[in-house]
Amino acid sequence: MKQNNMLAMILAGGRGSRLHDLTNKVAKPAVSYGGKYRIVDFPLSNCANSGIDVVGVLTQYESVLLNSYVAAGGRWGLDARDSGVFVLPPREKADANLDVYRGTADAISQNIDFIDNYNPEYLLVLSGDHIYKMNYSKMLQYHKEKNADATIAVIGVPIKEASRFGIMNTDDEGRIIEFEEKPANPKSNLASMGIYIFTWKTLRRLLLADMKDPNSHHDFGKDIIPTLLNEGKTIVAYEFKGYWKDVGTIDSLWEANMDLLSNNNELDLNDHTWKIYTEDVSALPQYIGPKAKISRAFINQGCIIDGEVRNSVLFTGARVGEGAKVIDTVLMPDAVVEEGAVVQRALVANGVRIGKGAVVGSADSEHIELVAKRVKGVE
Amino acid sequence: MARAFGIITSSGTHIKVEGMQAYRPIGAFSFLGRYRVIDFPISNMSNSDIDRIQVYAKKNPRSLAEHLGTGRHYNINSKRGKLQLLFSENNTENDIYNTDIAAFMENIDMIERMHFPYVVIAPNYMVYTANFDTLLQNHIDSGADITLLYHAVDNAREAFLNCDILNLNKQKGVLSIEKNRGSAKNRNIFMDTYIMNKELFLDLIHKAKKLSSMYTLPQIVNIECANLDVRGVAHHGYFATITDFKSYFDANINLIDSKAAQELFDPEWPIYTRTNDSCPTQYFDDAEVRNSVISNGCLIEGSVENCVIGRGCSIKKGAVVKNSVILANAVIGEDVHIENQVVDKWAQVIHAKEVIAQPDHPGYIRRDDIL
Repeated sequence: MKQNNMLAMILAGGRGSRLHDLTNKVAKPAVSYGGKYRIVDFPLSNCANSGIDVVGVLTQYESVLLNSYVAAGGRWGLDARDSGVFVLPPREKADANLDVYRGTADAISQNIDFIDNYNPEYLLVLSGDHIYKMNYSKMLQYHKEKNADATIAVIGVPIKEASRFGIMNTDDEGRIIEFEEKPANPKSNLASMGIYIFTWKTLRRLLLADMKDPNSHHDFGKDIIPTLLNEGKTIVAYEFKGYWKDVGTIDSLWEANMDLLSNNNELDLNDHTWKIYTEDVSALPQYIGPKAKISRAFINQGCIIDGEVRNSVLFTGARVGEGAKVIDTVLMPDAVVEEGAVVQRALVANGVRIGKGAVVGSADSEHIELVAKRVKGVE
Repeated sequence: MARAFGIITSSGTHIKVEGMQAYRPIGAFSFLGRYRVIDFPISNMSNSDIDRIQVYAKKNPRSLAEHLGTGRHYNINSKRGKLQLLFSENNTENDIYNTDIAAFMENIDMIERMHFPYVVIAPNYMVYTANFDTLLQNHIDSGADITLLYHAVDNAREAFLNCDILNLNKQKGVLSIEKNRGSAKNRNIFMDTYIMNKELFLDLIHKAKKLSSMYTLPQIVNIECANLDVRGVAHHGYFATITDFKSYFDANINLIDSKAAQELFDPEWPIYTRTNDSCPTQYFDDAEVRNSVISNGCLIEGSVENCVIGRGCSIKKGAVVKNSVILANAVIGEDVHIENQVVDKWAQVIHAKEVIAQPDHPGYIRRDDIL
């Protein structure tokens, strides 16, 4: 099924070091989110739902798990003929030394040969670590309507927070006239979402020049976009309205999970017209025991709950023992809270066990407690 | 290396599950929320290194065909393995002609072409786990002609009334197969599961066909008990038959007990099913859920006790759902009180505020119905 002439490249090489122990062994895009997903499921599902057939995933940091995870393109329905998810870590080439990806733009540059195989008219560049649902084909339509060389998705942020983002200053027509990375005095509140559509011919030429430039950072924000602006190319802002979250820290990852608990939350993972696909795990349905107490929770299959769960998100296979309390907490896959333990305002990492009667986290802590190691029980 | 191919049979004409079966064969019945009954025999086969599987369907094959798909989700090798859905045309003049033997005859070339020396036959209306590879090895080692699987029960007077029983001698030789007429409490319930070599299986099909158009596989095996070495092997662990409405209800409700579930579900013996890509289930502020099995994709605002809830159900504010089996995408409206019911898929109980039955005689709410 030929759908549109756009190929997607997902930048998934980042470590996400502010997620501490969660990203010791896996890259940030492979971090779990929302009860059953991994962060990279969002851009991949968005691509599949937007009618994009070919997706390259650029991996670098701790890529073993991520590579095997995304390579099974069938999970997202990206396995028809002429369709697929391609894992693209740095590689040795006949005419170049093996080199790590030196920046976001360099990651694309080093795969120009891959993109040329498909000869797309447009290239969609995505970040692998944001949570949102977006129809990229609408953005492409906008790109075509505006006859743009590049289109950057932007989202309105509170002006007070704007200095944390890359801010786009636009004219009345929505054309970007200036790009400022983390400006001290922002002139607009339109933050870049790290989602770009380029007319491939234009970008290709720029990338080839950028590769040879010894002064370049090989970065889209720092180098490619400013060059396009200097050349007087048409760059337009495509305003996105909806849920979008960069989960860079433990606090924000926890918060993004908590966002799912509110009635009519904006992300709406239950939307049947825009499903987010993920790995299919063989797990039992949720077992809720005779003494369990659950309110305001988002719980996935494979969980066994005999205790109390309040205002929490529980991932596949998490367990809560009898008399245990799990409050304002995220339990990642297979985390276990044993009998009588109390966990509050915490994010418990994959497979971590909290022993009988242990107390973890507190209701009034400033930050969310990351529990990445086994907590001994109280005998 | 696989030595056997698998056959999954559909229920005989004597088995009727009121309500549910009007829409789909028993194999396609939703079971314990996220499964369908046929997931159990297929997973047993797949886990037993059997990856050529024939599934026989008689009526309403749509939901079964959809659920089975390519069979990839059953962990069947996509090149060497194959899951075949064999539809046998129903004889409309008289239901007595619609036997399993007739279905095999209609697809006899498919059976002849299987290049495996043995066949394992299991029904699509019973829930149990068994390692067919071990059973096959025992069958070969024993030198028996046919191995039949049975489950010893002590409640055959009131349960398993639509099933067959095995009469065994002390050496576990099968003397005869007959209907369970509820005349004794201790019985060996025949699990409609057979192991034999393919040639013998083909012989039996032809023999039965020649003798009588009404003969079924158990009937011809019963006749051949006099001539062949037919042995029974006892099955241990969880066992349920879905042979009438009450047994369907009970099998679901009984598995809410996590101890019973542990007997059926072994982490080393996964039961595969088709994913629906539903998101996790959302419990709202006023939700009250106890002693229940809940599938993904539900929105729960009300109270749920002792229930099995399928995928994508909505339990609205103030609703009270007790001792019931709710199938996928059903809606239980605000302040509705439901007890001892099976609510079929996509049904909405909104206007009727009280739908209560007794546990011995659970009620049934039709698919797509609005109450």
